[in-house]
Amino acid sequence: MTSIVKSIIDSFQSFPIDPFLLAVLAILIPGIIIFLIMAVNALIAVYFERKVSAFMQDRLGPMEVGIFGFKGGKKFWGGIGQTFADAIKLLAKEDIIPNDADKFLMVLAPFIIFTGAFLTFIGLPMSDSLVISNFNIGIFYIIAMSSVGVIGIILAGWSSNNKWSLYGAMRAAAQMISYEIPIALSLILVVLVSGHLDIYGIVQWQSENRWFILHSPFAALGFVIYFVSVVAETNRTPFDIPEAESELVAGWMTEYSGFRWALFFLSEYANMLIVAFVASIVFLGGWLSPLQLIDLPFFDIPDSWMFLDGTIFGIFWLFIKAVILIFCMMWFRWTFPRLRVDQLMYVCWKIFIPFALANVILISIWELIF
Amino acid sequence: MSEYFIEIVNGVKTFLTGMKMTLKHYNNKEELVATLQYPHEKWPIPERNIGFENSEYNLIRSRLHVDIDDCIGCLMCEKVCPVDCIKIDTIKPPKGTDVDFGMTSLDTHKKMLVTRFTIDMAECMYCNLCAYPCPEECIYMVGGPNEHKHEIDYEFSQYKRDGLIYEFAEPTEAQFAEVGGESYVESRQSQKQKLEDGANLKGVVEEEKKTIVVDDSKESTKKKEDSGLTLKLFNDVGDKPARGVAKRAFQAAKRGNMDYVTMADYVNSAINDSGKSSPEMTVAIEIIRNYNDETDNTNTPVSVAAESSSETPLMVDSSSKNFDVKSLNDIEDKMSRGIAKKAFMAAKRKNSDTNSKIDAIKLALSEAEKMTDDIGRLLSTFVVSDVASSATAILEAVPELEAGLFDIKLLNVIDDKMSRGSAKKVYMAGKRGNKSTSDVLTDIREELTKSEMMNDDIDNFLNGIG
Repeated sequence: MTSIVKSIIDSFQSFPIDPFLLAVLAILIPGIIIFLIMAVNALIAVYFERKVSAFMQDRLGPMEVGIFGFKGGKKFWGGIGQTFADAIKLLAKEDIIPNDADKFLMVLAPFIIFTGAFLTFIGLPMSDSLVISNFNIGIFYIIAMSSVGVIGIILAGWSSNNKWSLYGAMRAAAQMISYEIPIALSLILVVLVSGHLDIYGIVQWQSENRWFILHSPFAALGFVIYFVSVVAETNRTPFDIPEAESELVAGWMTEYSGFRWALFFLSEYANMLIVAFVASIVFLGGWLSPLQLIDLPFFDIPDSWMFLDGTIFGIFWLFIKAVILIFCMMWFRWTFPRLRVDQLMYVCWKIFIPFALANVILISIWELIF
Repeated sequence: MSEYFIEIVNGVKTFLTGMKMTLKHYNNKEELVATLQYPHEKWPIPERNIGFENSEYNLIRSRLHVDIDDCIGCLMCEKVCPVDCIKIDTIKPPKGTDVDFGMTSLDTHKKMLVTRFTIDMAECMYCNLCAYPCPEECIYMVGGPNEHKHEIDYEFSQYKRDGLIYEFAEPTEAQFAEVGGESYVESRQSQKQKLEDGANLKGVVEEEKKTIVVDDSKESTKKKEDSGLTLKLFNDVGDKPARGVAKRAFQAAKRGNMDYVTMADYVNSAINDSGKSSPEMTVAIEIIRNYNDETDNTNTPVSVAAESSSETPLMVDSSSKNFDVKSLNDIEDKMSRGIAKKAFMAAKRKNSDTNSKIDAIKLALSEAEKMTDDIGRLLSTFVVSDVASSATAILEAVPELEAGLFDIKLLNVIDDKMSRGSAKKVYMAGKRGNKSTSDVLTDIREELTKSEMMNDDIDNFLNGIG
């Protein structure tokens, strides 16, 4: 399996180039790609979220700020420039650090959170052979890196020297650590069945057999547990207890402003994209086209249709799946009210973890029988 | 244990119910959307309710409105306004000309042209004091008891502060030409230009611009010098009443476009008549008499206008099928006359032509069941069947044209105010340039086509003249 870093090194090897410079290039180019993906994702997802929320509440959402010739009138494209304007506003805002805050930690915290989201993208393939760097422990790496953010959140809450921030940070830590258990237990199912920690191996297994969500009822249940748990992991409503506006102002983000707050925002939406990618890679066949689902006795898929499974179309399929899942997360957000802290813990420890454990055992038995 | 599973099942069920509900709303059907996109869409403004019957209160704090067709320019409202938010400019037509401004709806003869009637609603304090002294009842707060005159409006949302200054008088170029108000237009234009220049410069005056400004001021001072004798001449005269008499006589003489010798005689006779003669006065008169006018050839626009309008008096002759509110005085029944006049004024405000005015009157009368054969006959005499034919009718009415140029009165047939104005402007320019009829006609045609006001009616009419 090739990766982007590998192909950069290969293609520059033919030039007489300093190895140090080559290393810098191999780091910089993927870094810029990841940052662009995160930034564009935040821009689009914020607009998408605002429109989805508006439509679900019988409003219109942003309608006035046009860009690229879109302006007004059109319901969905009416305010397409809104997020651009918001981003510019955020970057131009004053960066305030309170007097009594721990300045070093407060400056450091957003970058740790951002780094957590940033590093996860390294092991995350966009399509067949379109990955920054390919690990043979891909799933494990992704689980590990997506929990780096918790450290940043606790730092942010502690260093702000603000009761709201500290409460928010403590809640976030409790919530995120708790929900990592059902997430890991659901992802173990696919490792158990396919025998791969490597993401390519997992998708390979799915292309040879079937999408993992269709493997068994336990796999489907695993998907549900995984998906609800990642909504909690990304601190989105109805699990937004850490930043509960009505109780804690903005939780651990209370004292942040301007660019640092923008980094939080960027990471939040990047995390959404990451969990949607992981869900679609592990459970929904990754970059495989849905043609595989068409399994009719009287109809054979002609070979010419198979171009839909190529690398370029792989990006398309993966993004379609991710966008549908992100829409579902927004759908949750604008449907359900916030859970209480005890309800949150009840759902995690008393429902998801027992069910996930039972799932692991039952799917092993299923594998033994079939 | 069973409770545990029941709770889970209930949780999943309610989860799905909620999801279904929001998905249903996600379609975002037009009738469900609650948002009103305010500056683009507006609710109708509701009538105010201050707790009384509509007829019980006569003062509500809404917007001031002026029915400018009824305004006689008496300045009563301007004087009484405690915050000076009303500004009125008027032009009186020069003496000897007979310009008809029509009648108000209370049957007062209008004597002057109101060139500016602005109300600054940002300054207005809604005291309603201007409404009481108005003799024509043409300034009032909209809505409430005046609902039938103007619908309520108390929403003053504007993008700029200037938008709160409401202009009610919109005299056309033709009307300015009729009363000889070119100088007023010029001064207004130059003021506008100055403001515009100021806005463009944004406080930064460039070197080149400066020199231009200096040149302009020089020219304007020159013009002032050119205009020759002014009223200041008489300021040396100690006797106040005598000074007044002299000034009045001087103004009248100037308007009559006399030469300086006759002017001096005129003033002298006026002074002698009033028996206010004094040595200073004699000196002043001598100055006028001996004023060697090297600017004989410079015709100020005012004098030209006065000349032209005195040559072609714009008489409103009832025989020449001009339809105005006076014509309705022939209706005998008081009630129906009132209704007809009201309908006429409403139609006039909409700038409709004679025929539609008559239609509107007929409609109003028949609605009030006051339509009689007499009135119908009277109205039908005013119906303009065809513009071209009426032009020929007027051509017949005007016996013989003076050498070369046709009469400006002919242009009154053009219905559209704007195009009439520009046609008259071109006519005056042609007259000053001593052009022949055909040249002037082509000029008018060109001008109208350029401003896209040309239509078949006007074309026919111009052909009729040629």
